[in-house]
Amino acid sequence: MSDEALLAGMAAGDADAMAAFVRRHQGRVYGLALSVVGVPAIAEEVAQEAFVRAWRHAGNYDARRAQASTWLLTITRNVAIDVLRVRRELAVEPAVVAEMLISTTNDTDRVADSERITTALRALPREQATAVLLSVHFGLTAREISEQQQIPLGTAKTRIRTGLSRLRAMLEVSHG
Amino acid sequence: MVDPTRCGEVADALAEVATGAASGPDRARVLAHLADCPDCRRELEELTRVADEVLLIAPEHDPPAGFEGAVLARIAALSDESAADEPAEPVTQPVAEQPPAPPADGGPDAVVTPLRPRRWRRILPYAAAAVIAGLGGAGVVWQVTSDDRDLAAGYRETLDVANGRYFHAAPLLDDAGTQVGHVFLYQGDPSWVFTVLGDTAEPGTYEVSVVTHDGTQTVADYEVGRAGGGSGGTVDANIYQIERIDLTGSGGVTYTADLSDDTD
Repeated sequence: MSDEALLAGMAAGDADAMAAFVRRHQGRVYGLALSVVGVPAIAEEVAQEAFVRAWRHAGNYDARRAQASTWLLTITRNVAIDVLRVRRELAVEPAVVAEMLISTTNDTDRVADSERITTALRALPREQATAVLLSVHFGLTAREISEQQQIPLGTAKTRIRTGLSRLRAMLEVSHG
Repeated sequence: MVDPTRCGEVADALAEVATGAASGPDRARVLAHLADCPDCRRELEELTRVADEVLLIAPEHDPPAGFEGAVLARIAALSDESAADEPAEPVTQPVAEQPPAPPADGGPDAVVTPLRPRRWRRILPYAAAAVIAGLGGAGVVWQVTSDDRDLAAGYRETLDVANGRYFHAAPLLDDAGTQVGHVFLYQGDPSWVFTVLGDTAEPGTYEVSVVTHDGTQTVADYEVGRAGGGSGGTVDANIYQIERIDLTGSGGVTYTADLSDDTD
């Protein structure tokens, strides 16, 4: 059954659809949460909350705007970032984690649909890829990135914007 | 009136809005510009799709055993709660004195898709072991948040205006471990706690005591009728230092919110 059908079932109150949706995506949601907050127990809470919110908002999901998986991961990221903003001690080395995310050592754990974006990120200048990941993955503002990376604020802003624009161009090309 | 900000001047901030990391002022500046600029609206939509796709890069990890059951138990409990709490929890205090209820508990800002409780009870045996954890331990960390990025930003702005930094919530339990209400805690200047009892609580007068390592402080007392009620007060402690909140009723009953897992 497709994700869209499961979400429709969830919106209608179908417990079996919710169970199937959780089973299908739990590894990915927990993996994202863990990569952001870094602590398994907190990642589990974040992942649980992400699914609860997905259940709450299943009726609002619009397949024209996003794939179900990216929609769910966006929810997860938002929960995780909000936790980070309260518990800043958790985000110890986001730049190191960002480097790890695009390194080849994680390739065995990657999901097939991440190949395109992984290839595109690796094709970016490393400093731009890192800035994009710090912004997207960890919710760091350009100012926070400039402080962490010890670079001028304008440079941080440019890296995020240019990196994102280049990714778009590469993904458009790969779409064919 | 046409927004005078030119596209080039919001380009950097536009990228940060797409990644979800923009600060409140940047977000406001971009949104003001977007109102009059279809090109930048299209640009934002495209960049947002790219930013969302970046999230796919995170590697998969198997969650701990029982994860699925814990999620389903939480949803089953929330589903039963939302079915039982129509309308939302009654509160005797005037509206102006109530804290904004964290939306994760189905507060007024939450968009809750109602579920038929019967269908969820079918999965309870499957998930029963996780119910208590789902209600008690989990869920307190993110009560500060809201259900989507915009709403979260709105809450943060509210907290900024109020010089506050942190919302927190926990269940109030009776001796048998049954949830009878909630406590909401706010870290700010001043900090405060607010307790809400539902209609399953014993009617009577309740004294609200905040227990920290340094001692016990009574912050409020209030009357609870058959429909429940709520009250709270300011507290002279960092909310991270609060170990427990006790509600002691005139009839001898005591309800407790245990926060010891959350103290530093």
